[in-house]
Amino acid sequence: MSGTHCAACAVLIEQILAEQANIESAKVFLSSRQVTVIGIFSESPEKIAEELSKLVQSHGYAISVEKQTNDAQLGDFAYAVPIAAAVIIAFLLLQKAGLTSLITSSNVSYGTAFVIGLIASVSSCLAIVGGLVLSLSASSAKEGGTWRTQTLFHVGRLGGFFILGGLVGLLGNSLHLGLTANIVLSVAVALVMFILGVNLLDVFHFTKRLQLTMPARFGKHVMNGSTHDHYLAPLLVGVGTFFLPCGFTQSMQLYALSTGTFMQGALTMFVFALGTFPVLALLSFGSLNIAHKPWKGIFFKTAGIIVIALALLNFTNALATAGVVNPLFNF
Amino acid sequence: MHMNTQTIVSLAVSVALVGWAFWIVSPKSSTGSEGTTIPTAIVVDGTQIIDIRAKGGYSPRRVVAKAGVPTVLRVSTNGTFDCSSSVVIPKLSYQKFLQPSGTEDITIPAEQAQGTLQGLCSMGMYNFQIKFE
Repeated sequence: MSGTHCAACAVLIEQILAEQANIESAKVFLSSRQVTVIGIFSESPEKIAEELSKLVQSHGYAISVEKQTNDAQLGDFAYAVPIAAAVIIAFLLLQKAGLTSLITSSNVSYGTAFVIGLIASVSSCLAIVGGLVLSLSASSAKEGGTWRTQTLFHVGRLGGFFILGGLVGLLGNSLHLGLTANIVLSVAVALVMFILGVNLLDVFHFTKRLQLTMPARFGKHVMNGSTHDHYLAPLLVGVGTFFLPCGFTQSMQLYALSTGTFMQGALTMFVFALGTFPVLALLSFGSLNIAHKPWKGIFFKTAGIIVIALALLNFTNALATAGVVNPLFNF
Repeated sequence: MHMNTQTIVSLAVSVALVGWAFWIVSPKSSTGSEGTTIPTAIVVDGTQIIDIRAKGGYSPRRVVAKAGVPTVLRVSTNGTFDCSSSVVIPKLSYQKFLQPSGTEDITIPAEQAQGTLQGLCSMGMYNFQIKFE
């Protein structure tokens, strides 16, 4: 088998194969990249492999009788590393550029909320929200997820901001986490990003056993909302982004809170989330689009490097917030 | 599965460039380029008042204050929607999301006005330092 990277791939392939009428069972062995299929066949093994390959081809996998040699294309790194470096440098310099001073009004109209959203999506929030979106969508695209998974995520995010923003306005209480919960959440998000980033690099076939993988259950739910009935997971992840430690989200909440009504609070947060949508949509639908291009290998490695860098940035920032280390950055 | 020259060169150049960009955003270079003198806190009626503006970061980033004096850290926001509006001071276990515009007084008791107090925004992107001497 080629193209398999994680527990979610195994689940997907097993389910696709098991759906066939003549196949009794299918079991994927990730460590050896093999699949054992039990069923009734009349063709030669080569022909069977070819037929089965067709079933999983659309998801980027291939099945053959001969064992695949390690195809981690290290040559891709010649392109991926400089591209990732350019993106990271652009990100760091963008933070230095002082975009936040563009916001001059302290009175928030819906137009201002939208602009704040736009700025937020390229500012510090990009490291955590954008990084998470990139890692999830690139991984999802790599696992054969479709536009539906990505759309559900965005629907969840926009809808979640509307409803939670409304609640903030109605109840007059902002929904944010305490200091410790914030740090724990940041570390958890950094860890998820790191694992997804390492998997995106696709260089650890030879240490498959040591490779960090998402538990199959989690992977199945988050990545493959499209192939199964788990519409809920990407939707909930989208809603969950409301609580990510992004300064902009929190100060918008404080404003939403001051409006005092459900509708105004809801619209403020919704319009803010709408402002962050273009960049986040570019990240998620862009990943999906590129996943079918010939140079997808370069893209996934580039995304992997960027995601790992952002994961480390978030991790050191979380440690600094906890007072464990001194801040490494001052933008 | 060997690394060719192209890969090695691109790797080296990339690492050098990223290193340079990190140097630009490291706290050291930013304090060095910002100014020559470090502002000192003023004492009014036995209370030390430190003014810090929060918008797209904190300014001033370093303040020198007297140790062992009851201190008020006055953080002012003005149309601040970025990370710097959520102030965290790990040593004091302090976290607060400030109003987009206004001032917030953070009281530091005399016994805690010692050493270096590090403050930062909740995502850790921006920070400030108060040196009690």
